[in-house]
Amino acid sequence: MRDAALSWSLRVATPILSVLGLWYLAIFFSGLPAFVIPRPERVLDVLWVDRAFIFEHLLATLEVAGFGFLWANIAGIGLAVLFDLLPPTRHMLMPAAITLRNVPYIALISVLMLAFGDSILSKTTIVALSGFFPVLVNTLQGLRSADEVQLDRMRILNASWWQTFSQVRLPYAIPSIVAAQEITGSGAIIVAIAAEWMISSTGLGYVINNAMQNYRGDKVYAVALLATALSFLIYSLVHWLGRRLDWRAGDPRR
Amino acid sequence: MASPISIRGVSRRFGETVALRTVDLEVAAGEFIALVGPSGCGKTTLLRIVADLVDPSTGEVRIGNATAAEARRQRLLGLVSQRPAVLPWKRAIDDVRFTQKIAGKVGFDPAKVLREFGLEGHENKRARQLSGGMLQRVNIASAMAHDPAVLLMDEPFAALDEMKREEIGEWFDRELAVRPKTVLFVTHHIDEAVMLADRLLVFSPSPGRVLEVVSVPVPRPRDASFRQDPRFVAIAGHVRSLLMHRTVDAA
Repeated sequence: MRDAALSWSLRVATPILSVLGLWYLAIFFSGLPAFVIPRPERVLDVLWVDRAFIFEHLLATLEVAGFGFLWANIAGIGLAVLFDLLPPTRHMLMPAAITLRNVPYIALISVLMLAFGDSILSKTTIVALSGFFPVLVNTLQGLRSADEVQLDRMRILNASWWQTFSQVRLPYAIPSIVAAQEITGSGAIIVAIAAEWMISSTGLGYVINNAMQNYRGDKVYAVALLATALSFLIYSLVHWLGRRLDWRAGDPRR
Repeated sequence: MASPISIRGVSRRFGETVALRTVDLEVAAGEFIALVGPSGCGKTTLLRIVADLVDPSTGEVRIGNATAAEARRQRLLGLVSQRPAVLPWKRAIDDVRFTQKIAGKVGFDPAKVLREFGLEGHENKRARQLSGGMLQRVNIASAMAHDPAVLLMDEPFAALDEMKREEIGEWFDRELAVRPKTVLFVTHHIDEAVMLADRLLVFSPSPGRVLEVVSVPVPRPRDASFRQDPRFVAIAGHVRSLLMHRTVDAA
């Protein structure tokens, strides 16, 4: 029991200590001024002093990321199911999805800015556009990974499309869908901040932009620290949820 | 419940490749037919045509008064694959119930049949917690759970070792005496086929065609002593020579 507690605290403490160590080394050996690379304690101080301001903008970012994530899933999973139900739609819509995927996001953000201005709609759309593709591709691949003998079993029992989909194909697809959430979930935060940085007057991205213009490197670091922690938290949450949903969990053959 | 099967002029080609040359066969209700031959001889194709999973290029299959498609829609067919189709996230008993739910037919009490199948105490285990032999028994229980008239079995015991294979074969033979079914049974294991079947359809190597229909005129179920019976030895020897000569000729 004590060993477990010790190893757990080591696992938490080691990365924190090593990051702090590297941080101080960088300060001492780079010779860069404090507004470029502030001390960790200064950054934590900013996080605390400006907590009300930062928290307000954190909520704005979470709103954009959350809705974007939701729409990415609705679009990604929805399209994958549509392609499965009506295969011709795949040939019609997949090229459009791939094209959209390959347009530089900066161009998309600019167009959306022109269309909707600095609104939740334009930022959410960007998050959704950047996130839906991994969900779509993974869900499609997952739906196709159902075991052929299971599909034969459903055919011989004259199962409906919905029965085969919900009872066999979807459960087989869940591990792939979860893997996509790990990408899309943490990516949503990063993309939301990037969009805010470019076009917004709210959110953590805006705070970074604003801090830079005032030579407040400490504030940039504070936001970066927060955003990283948030992204990591979301990744861990999705990962934990995914393991609970994954029927393979605990399978020794994995 | 069991239904007769009538296979009339059935053949199948995939593009230029002939998978199965014309087969004609009348199977009586409750009869056990083994389809024996080397890999790629079309025996699985014939099974899948009867299952309405593959369309024949020529001819037709009738099961009782129905076509294969109608029989499938009426849930008269059961399919047992070599790789168990037991859903990995379901407990054994729930997998058996799952067949009944999808088919909309309750053939028998799942708990009772799992007990009869020697799976008492294992009803709540999932696929990965069961041994190969047990898993195949669950697979058969699930395939029969809606009490189909016809059982289509594609090398069901091939993944098991020799001892298990003989044991499960004898067990299955006794089960069929309790719940009669018309059975088509694909195997490349000659002894197994002679042990279980009323008649053997012996196939040549690809493109497959039926070389001979061999009868085993001994009532079922048969016990292990039948393996020492001179009739068993003679029939198995005859089938073996049929297949050997063909393979040599082809080579």
